[in-house]
Amino acid sequence: MVFLMQGPSTGNTLPPACTLLSVGQAFAGTQNVSSLQKDEAWRVNVRIQGCDLDHGYLCGTMEALNVPMADTPVVTFWEGEIVDTKNYTFFTGKWEATPDDDIRHWSKFPSFSALLSQVEVDGGKSLDLSNYPHIFMRWKEQYFVNVGVDCGLTIAGFYYVCFSFSDGSINGFYYDPNSSDESVLHRTCSPFQKLELKSTNEGRSGFSFSSYQLQ
Amino acid sequence: MPVSSSSSSQSQDLISKLTSTDPQLKLKALRAIKNQIIGNKTKKLSYINLGIVPPIVQILGSSSSDSSLIVNSAAAIGSFACGVDVGVKAVLDCGAYQYLIQTLSSEDEKIYDYNWARGSFIKLEILGFDYDMERGVVLVKLELGFDYNLVVDAGARALRMIFQSKFAPKYDFVNEKSINFLFSLLNNENENIAELGACIITHSCETSTEQKALCEAGVLQRLTTLLGGSLNQRDASLESLAVILKNNMDTVAKFVTVDSGKVLSAITELTKDRFPRTRLLACICLIGIGQISPCFMEDMRIKTKLVLILVELLEEPDRVGDETPFVLADLVTTKEDLQKIAFDSNALDKLCICLCKSPINPKRTEGILLALAELCSKLEICRSRFLSLQVLNMVTDALKHDLSEVRIAACICIRSVTRSVKSLSAGRFMNEMPVTTLVQLLHDSFITVQVAALGAISNIVVDFTTHKSIFIECGGVTQLVELSKSMDSTLRLNSVWALRNLMFLAGNNFKEGILEELTASTLASLICDPEPPIQEQALALLRNLVDGCGDSINHVFVEDGLVIGAVGRQVWSASESEVCVQGMFALANLAAGSEVHKEVVMHCLLPPQAGGCTQSVIIKFLQANDSRLRTASIWCVVNLSYRGCFDSYSRIERLRTAGIVSQIKTMVNDPCLDVKYRVRTALEQCMACDNST
Repeated sequence: MVFLMQGPSTGNTLPPACTLLSVGQAFAGTQNVSSLQKDEAWRVNVRIQGCDLDHGYLCGTMEALNVPMADTPVVTFWEGEIVDTKNYTFFTGKWEATPDDDIRHWSKFPSFSALLSQVEVDGGKSLDLSNYPHIFMRWKEQYFVNVGVDCGLTIAGFYYVCFSFSDGSINGFYYDPNSSDESVLHRTCSPFQKLELKSTNEGRSGFSFSSYQLQ
Repeated sequence: MPVSSSSSSQSQDLISKLTSTDPQLKLKALRAIKNQIIGNKTKKLSYINLGIVPPIVQILGSSSSDSSLIVNSAAAIGSFACGVDVGVKAVLDCGAYQYLIQTLSSEDEKIYDYNWARGSFIKLEILGFDYDMERGVVLVKLELGFDYNLVVDAGARALRMIFQSKFAPKYDFVNEKSINFLFSLLNNENENIAELGACIITHSCETSTEQKALCEAGVLQRLTTLLGGSLNQRDASLESLAVILKNNMDTVAKFVTVDSGKVLSAITELTKDRFPRTRLLACICLIGIGQISPCFMEDMRIKTKLVLILVELLEEPDRVGDETPFVLADLVTTKEDLQKIAFDSNALDKLCICLCKSPINPKRTEGILLALAELCSKLEICRSRFLSLQVLNMVTDALKHDLSEVRIAACICIRSVTRSVKSLSAGRFMNEMPVTTLVQLLHDSFITVQVAALGAISNIVVDFTTHKSIFIECGGVTQLVELSKSMDSTLRLNSVWALRNLMFLAGNNFKEGILEELTASTLASLICDPEPPIQEQALALLRNLVDGCGDSINHVFVEDGLVIGAVGRQVWSASESEVCVQGMFALANLAAGSEVHKEVVMHCLLPPQAGGCTQSVIIKFLQANDSRLRTASIWCVVNLSYRGCFDSYSRIERLRTAGIVSQIKTMVNDPCLDVKYRVRTALEQCMACDNST
C-alpha cells in the first residue's frame, strides 16, 4: 500500500529503521553479469558500515570474489542515497541518469510498480514511504579499498537498489552512463547486471547485531 | 618566577620611592612603572612578583594622596589588571577595589566630606555664597583644587579593566542595593562610569533570574540609550545586552519590543559599522536573539549576512579576531543550514588559513579549533574539505599545547572530523592520526582533557580496517581499561564507550585481548554501574563482544557466569529503555550461538525461581512503547526459536508456556515494520516446529 502525503508533511515520513540494514550487518550473494558473449556470476559480500536515516545516508563495502582477471577479491567503498522523499527522490538528478533512466531501472523491481504512477509525476516527492515494506536506494561506489585505480576495473556507474523488510534481501541493477552498455565492477560492457544479496548470519544459529555510536 | 639580584635592587628602589614621603618621588615612580607595564605582560608579571602592587594600592587609598597620585596609581592598577588574571588577583588582594569604587563618587558630597576629612584639598576657590534662612548659616560654594574628573575617569577605567576578568567581584542583581548602585553608574553623565555600569552587567549577570531582574528594573531601556553614546559606551552596551538576552525567552521578548522594535533595527544596522568590534558585538546580540527566537533567523539573508560578517572578522587582529571564531562556532552550532552557509562562504578555508598563521595566540587557536569542530560536526562535505586542506597536523600539534583549553579544543575538532564514516572506512585516522598523542592525553592531569581525548578516541577506534591493533600497541586499551575503573563517572562512561566502539566488528583475537585486559569481573561491575549511561555502554560492549562466530562468546561464561548474571539482573531491574535495549540485543546475540548459549539466555529470561508465576520480562519489553525494545526482544525470540537447532522444540514450548508466543501473535501488525516482519519470522519458526512434531 502506498500513501500520498496530504499537504505539507508534518510527521515522520522517513523510512523506518531496520535492524537487518543497520551498521555491521552483512549480506552475501551474487552479481550476475550477462553479455552476448557469456554469462558470469561473481560472489559478492556487502557489509553496512554507516547509516544515517535523517540524512538518507547509508555506506559500506562491497567485496567481489572470483572476479575474472583480478588476483584478489576486489573491495570497494560505496555510499548510498536512501529514497526517503525528503533527502532524495526516485529521480537521481546526477551521475548522468535521466528520469527515464531512473524509471526504467526502478521498474525492474516488482515492488516499485505501486509507486510508478506518482513517481512519473514528481519523482515520488509526495509519497509517504514511512510504512512501505521496501527501501529504495542508490549505491555509488566511491573508491577501491584494496586495489589501485589501475586495476582495470571501473566504478563509474551506480546501483539502483531495493531492500525488502520481509526477508532482508537486497536486489540491485547497475547503471553506467559511460558504457554503451551497463557494466559493473566493471570489466566488460554488459547489457544487464543484477545484484542479488541475502542477509547472512555468518554461520551462526540466528542473527546477531553489532553496533557503534559516534560521539 | 625567579628574580635576579638586579631586579631585586630595582624593586627595592621603586618600593622605597613609592613609600617615600615625598609626593614628587612617588609620582615619578608611579609614572615610570605605568609607562613600563603598558602592553607588556612580562613586565607586569615581573613587577607583580617583585611586590610592587601593594605600595601602589596604598597610594590610591592614602588620605595624603593628591589627585595626580590617585590618577596615576589608579591607572597603574588598571594596567596591572588589564588582560592578566594574576594582576587582577594582585590588585584585588591589596584592597584596591574599594578605593577605586570610592574614586567614582568623588563628585558626591559624601566624598567631599571624605576627602575633606582626609585633608587632601590643596586649593580652595570661593565661587559664591548662599544663605540658609532656617539654619541661619551662610553656605559657601567652593571649587576644590582636586581634579575630580581625572580621578573619576582613572578610577572607572581601572575598574573596567578589573571587570574584564573572571576574578572581579560579582554583583547579585536580585539584590535591590546592587540594582540601585548599577543605575547610579548607568545614569551617570560621566561616560566612563556609565560604560563601567555596562561592564559590570556583562561580568556579573549569570542567571536567568538576574537577567529578568535587570530587565524589570528598566536596564534594557537605559542600555539602548547608551547605544547612541560614544563608541566605548555603544560597545559596552551591546556586550551587556548580549548577556542579558542570552538564552532567555523573557528578556528577548521584552527587548524586541523596546521602542517598537527600532532598537533591534539599530543593532542590525550596527553590523555594518565601520568599527570591527562594534560589528562583532552587534552580531553576538543578533545571534543571541536568533537562538531564542528562531523566526528572527528564518530569513536566509540575515543568516548569510551574519556568517559573511564573521568570516570577514576572522582576519581582524587582536581581541576581535580572537573572539570571532567563538562567535562563529556559537552561530553554527547544531544548525546544519548555517554550517552549509558557512561552508559556502569559505569559512572553513579561512579558519584553516588562520590556524596555519604563525605565531597565533592560544585563545585564537582554541576558538578556531572549536569553530572548525562545529563546522565539521554534521556535514560530510565540511569534513571532506577539512581533510583535503591538510591541516590535521596542525590540530595534532595543538593536542600537545601547554594550555588545557587548546588541547580540549583540538580533541573536540578531531572528534567532529572523525565522524566521517567514509574516512573511517578508509582507515585514514588510524593511519594518519597520531593516535599515540591522543592516548597520551588519557594521562593528562585535567579530567576535562581526558574526557575530550576519549571523545575523539571513541570515534577513531571504530576503524573498519585491520589497523585497530595500532591502538593496542600504543597502550590504548590498557589506559581505557584503567579509566573504566575511575571514580569519575564521566571518565568511566567515555572509556567504556571507546571500548565498545573498539570492539565493533573486531577480530576474535582482538576481542579476547581486550577482555583479558578488562576482565570479566570489571565488565560485570560496569554493567551494574550506578550510572545508567554506563550500564548502556557496557551492555553494548558485551553485545559487540558476543557478535560474530568466534570463541570470544565463551569468555562471557567464565567466573561462574558473573557477566551473564549481571545482564540478567539489569534486564529485569533497569528502568531506562536504552539499558534494556542494549541488554536485550546482548541476549539476542548470545541466543544466536550454540545450544548452551541459547539455554543460558532462556535461563535469563525465564528463571526457574520465577516458578511460572511471574510474567517474563520479555513480555513487558514486547509490550513496550519503545519500538527499539520490541525489536531487540523479538530478535531474541527469533534466535531462540531458530530453525534446525537441536532443542528448538523444547524452547518454543517453554516460550509458549510463558505466554511469549501468545504475546507475539498479537503483534503481527505492529506499527513498526521491523518488529512486524520479525514477529512473522518468529511465528513461522514456531509453526514450522509444530508441524514437524
